[in-house]
Amino acid sequence: MPTFSERLGRVQVAASVQMTIRARELRAQGVDIIQLTIGEPNFDSPRHAIEAAHQAALAGQTKYPPQDGIPALKQAIQRKFKRDNGLDYALDEICVTNGGKQAIFNALMATVNPGDESVIPVPSWSAYALMTKICDGEPVFVNCPQNNGFKPRVDDIDAAITPRTKWLILNNPNNPTGACCSAAELRSIADVMLKHPHVWIMSDDMYEHLVFDGFKHATIVQVAPELRDRTVTISGASKAYAMTGWRIGYAGGPKSLIRAMVNMQGQATAGVSTVGQAAAAAALDGPQDGVAEQIIAYRNRRDMAVEMLNACRGINCHKPEGAFYVFPNVAGCIGKTTEGGRRLETDQDVCMALLEEAHVATVHGAAYGMSPYLRVSTATDDASLAEGCRRIARFCAGLH
Amino acid sequence: MHLTAERLDRIQPSLTIAIATKARHMIAEGKNVISLSQGEPDFETPRNIKDAAIRAIEAGDTKYTDVAGTPALRKAVAQKFKRDSGIEYKPEEVIISTGGKQVIFNAMLATLNAGDEVIIPSPCWVSYPDIVSLADGKPVLVPCEQNHGFKLRAEALEQAITPKTKWFMLNNPCNPTGAAYSAEELRPICDVLLRHPDVWIFTDDIYEKLAYDGFKPATIVQVEPRLRDRTVTMNGCSKAYAMTGWRLGFAGAPVALIKAMDKLQSQSTSNTNSIAQAAAVEALTGPQESIEAMRKVFEQRRNLVVDMLNRAPGIHCHKPEGAFYVYPSIHGCIGKTSRGGKSIADDESFVLALLEETGVAAVHGGAFCYPGHFRIAYANATEELRDACTRIQQFCEGLH
Repeated sequence: MPTFSERLGRVQVAASVQMTIRARELRAQGVDIIQLTIGEPNFDSPRHAIEAAHQAALAGQTKYPPQDGIPALKQAIQRKFKRDNGLDYALDEICVTNGGKQAIFNALMATVNPGDESVIPVPSWSAYALMTKICDGEPVFVNCPQNNGFKPRVDDIDAAITPRTKWLILNNPNNPTGACCSAAELRSIADVMLKHPHVWIMSDDMYEHLVFDGFKHATIVQVAPELRDRTVTISGASKAYAMTGWRIGYAGGPKSLIRAMVNMQGQATAGVSTVGQAAAAAALDGPQDGVAEQIIAYRNRRDMAVEMLNACRGINCHKPEGAFYVFPNVAGCIGKTTEGGRRLETDQDVCMALLEEAHVATVHGAAYGMSPYLRVSTATDDASLAEGCRRIARFCAGLH
Repeated sequence: MHLTAERLDRIQPSLTIAIATKARHMIAEGKNVISLSQGEPDFETPRNIKDAAIRAIEAGDTKYTDVAGTPALRKAVAQKFKRDSGIEYKPEEVIISTGGKQVIFNAMLATLNAGDEVIIPSPCWVSYPDIVSLADGKPVLVPCEQNHGFKLRAEALEQAITPKTKWFMLNNPCNPTGAAYSAEELRPICDVLLRHPDVWIFTDDIYEKLAYDGFKPATIVQVEPRLRDRTVTMNGCSKAYAMTGWRLGFAGAPVALIKAMDKLQSQSTSNTNSIAQAAAVEALTGPQESIEAMRKVFEQRRNLVVDMLNRAPGIHCHKPEGAFYVYPSIHGCIGKTSRGGKSIADDESFVLALLEETGVAAVHGGAFCYPGHFRIAYANATEELRDACTRIQQFCEGLH
């Protein structure tokens, strides 16, 4: 039997995917599961994006697209960077990717040599570390404690950087905590980075539109244009426009890096599905009211979830600035025993017991590099979220 | 700082870009350019497929799907393999990717360690050796001569296999030669592979539907079911259904390898565009008449092009079984000088002079790891092909 690569051994299936699959299995057995694991908006894609996809398919836009994206979408992205972020990118400083994920993958594959390090503030989406490992690099984690609002301390970033550091990866607002650095906080991170000119900076702004209570999202090149020549700014249509299935991400960055990323993508998948690109161009250029409605819905759900979770015995839930996640601390549950007789040693135990006994699916914090926490997604309807929180409350009340 | 990772430096910048750029400039200057360089059918995606995509959008199929594809499409692909090749794959032995290219990329990344060898018959699509190099592997090219119909000899395969051989890749029918293998022709190749149980087998059957004069291309697992547990059977919608821009490829393979590819894809791009997946279900399960209509047109064009090129002095054009390419030899033109005074030293100078002096854009054989030839894609309207071949004849007549 032929064998697999050593590289593959470094990759695990994401915990959120594992939990989603487990929840689906239980549901198939007839168990009534409340699903709070998925990072996917429960809204529909905007009408004008859908119409644009129709038109594109009917007009015969079904041929190989340019590998860096169709001109109409690149122009729409250019306008978006200017309008939303105050950034000026030329068209050859922009590329379109199969989801924001591929922008990250391209950038890392195109730059990371064996032993190169990516500095990753944690908690973080597991993909940053895994992709670094696929590229033969080493993730280096910087803790962002709850008492600092799950944000990195600049001294910790400074201390993590070595001569082998290739990337600092920022995710703002953050998955899984919802934390979002302000312009001032980004400025102080930028000041540290100016001391380390050999390090690239990745700003994954996929959740940029989802910030609440008047908080203003900023991105690092906006507050520190000096870093423009070594920063890649990534966003996409998935979260802002409820277009997850369409798989449209994009990046702005210096021309040399964008060209390398496009070369990389040329080998992995080539261009991005044309109907998806046409829809994304319409979403970026069209009316943005759908985004505003979603922000209100997500804010209300965040407020409800934070309040209900804080009322649970043993749970302490920080109220984040953005995204559609909350990241409750379950330290008060550890060491206890459930009504079903399970002893809870880790957040993974809490997560599994919640699923099996309370029928609520969440993801454990360890999967994001910080314990003992849970990630609760608010990207579900209000009633399900409320029921999920009630079940968590009953579960906690039953711990002894 | 050095921008790119060492792995990216291993990839040749595309040799075809110079030609494409030159052709674009000539078009911009108002010159009459006929491009025969694109590997893309000039047909429209059939209407029933477009309509299925539109229905899917309307039904809200715009969310994340399973990374390996929707259950409906995996089932449709399994049925396609059964119907067209008599191979039984269960849906869990099927993966859906963003183009056939991503299947290759996933498979190589999932299996190759540094220095592992991949046997590739040449002439070949340059992405095979490039993707192998990106994954730290070593491409081993085995030349297939024109006087053997550009087909691999079993003895040559046997000789190329070493203890480091990880994969054998076959493209059937082949880009760029159009050569295709029948069941009888695959038999001796399968016999060699049976003797080497540690070698994975990758068969890229993307041009399967395009074969002429009643020729039936076979696929390896169909010919030798004992190779099933180590073979990837790749196919897709791009060429059979004129769906290049939708980016939809798929493969059947043993479950262990499907899981490995799924893991990698979950880190690089996640699922394939959800709309394209719905369109592909219709392509594979709906009416198939459009394929035969397209195939007939291609057959006439192939006959026309081979006939006309063989009347150009210095050119010898083999008549291939399939795909939409011919790969004529220019040995009789080498060492001559064109009317415009350009010396024809090799295939690259031949295609450049041809473009500059006649406006016909083709791709030189060096781009397919097999110089001394050039590739013509006959995916253009018949009258345009006639015009282009006349220009090639005139160009060759002017050589001295």
